[in-house]
Amino acid sequence: MIKRQLAHLGVLCFVFVLAIPSYADQRQSTTALMTPSNQAMQKDINLNPALFWIMDGETLWGDRSNPAGKACVDCHQDVKQSMKGVAATFPKRVQGKLLNLEGQINQCRTSRQQAPAFAYESKPLLALSTLIAYQSRGLPIAASTDPAVEPDYKKGQSVYFQRIGQLNLSCAQCHDDRAGLKLASSTIPQGHPTAYPIYRIEWQGVGSLQRRLRNCVSAVRAEQYAYGSAELTALELYLMRRANGMQIESPGVRP
Amino acid sequence: MSRSSRAVVTMPKTAKKGEVFSIRAIVQHDMESGFRHTEQGVRVPRDIIRSFICTYNGNEVFKADLHSGVGSNPLFIFYAKADQSGTFEFKWQGDNNYLTIVNQAITVS
Repeated sequence: MIKRQLAHLGVLCFVFVLAIPSYADQRQSTTALMTPSNQAMQKDINLNPALFWIMDGETLWGDRSNPAGKACVDCHQDVKQSMKGVAATFPKRVQGKLLNLEGQINQCRTSRQQAPAFAYESKPLLALSTLIAYQSRGLPIAASTDPAVEPDYKKGQSVYFQRIGQLNLSCAQCHDDRAGLKLASSTIPQGHPTAYPIYRIEWQGVGSLQRRLRNCVSAVRAEQYAYGSAELTALELYLMRRANGMQIESPGVRP
Repeated sequence: MSRSSRAVVTMPKTAKKGEVFSIRAIVQHDMESGFRHTEQGVRVPRDIIRSFICTYNGNEVFKADLHSGVGSNPLFIFYAKADQSGTFEFKWQGDNNYLTIVNQAITVS
């Protein structure tokens, strides 16, 4: 009996050893598809235009001009210490609600600073999320494994595999099945969210992961998900877990 | 854009006489082209940087005129030759009295 159990265990271990490395090896950051000059711009923070969002974020970090008179620094102290690795763990459940990094910033803003929430894609929100994400640069993505997020993960997964829009395409059909092939002249990336928020040259500015996801949704001519909607945040969670362990490169530079 | 904005210059603090080194200057600016319209059809007025000048101890070493086609947060990378200790001045000027000046000292041995 014990011998049989041991044999089963052996088979199980063998399967694990076989499966995990082959999966990990196939994942590729979209940075690898960039031109060398864009890669250099992303890597060197003094060349990266998102630097200005980081600097604006540092100013906001110490800004006490809100009804509560509290700055981020008053609770969280030095951003370089306290926010290290924080962006790698979002989205996660906070007080029963799935929040991404932007949602968490606004949660702090409305409850601790008693100020109105920043609008999605507004400069102050992007400045703070870029500043915080930058503190995780070089660290691996550590997506939430909290059992409470399982329903959100399942939801995100179904969004990822759901065919939508007039073009009737799912995320998976491009970013799983056809990654590495061409869409017009550009290579289809695997779609790992390793470098958000990104400075996109086409946008002439920094944008969040949800802005990028909404780009794809409108590209397949589907009805748009709202910023901060349960669908987009759940999809963020699914993508983060799909990219679990990959290195964070925020803020990225994209053409 | 505000009257002034952030700018970051990356260059060595010390150099040997005759040494050629690279200077990288990036400035925060929206570079609103003047060709865009709002959703109501109103034209967004042009608001761009018009010129960038770098001087080394008062002598011009690099100059560029910028136009509507230049993207936001323009970055210049150029080279200079170390001559004598002194100051590099980087000056961006633009529409609506925009002016940003950064000074950077260099010691030449």
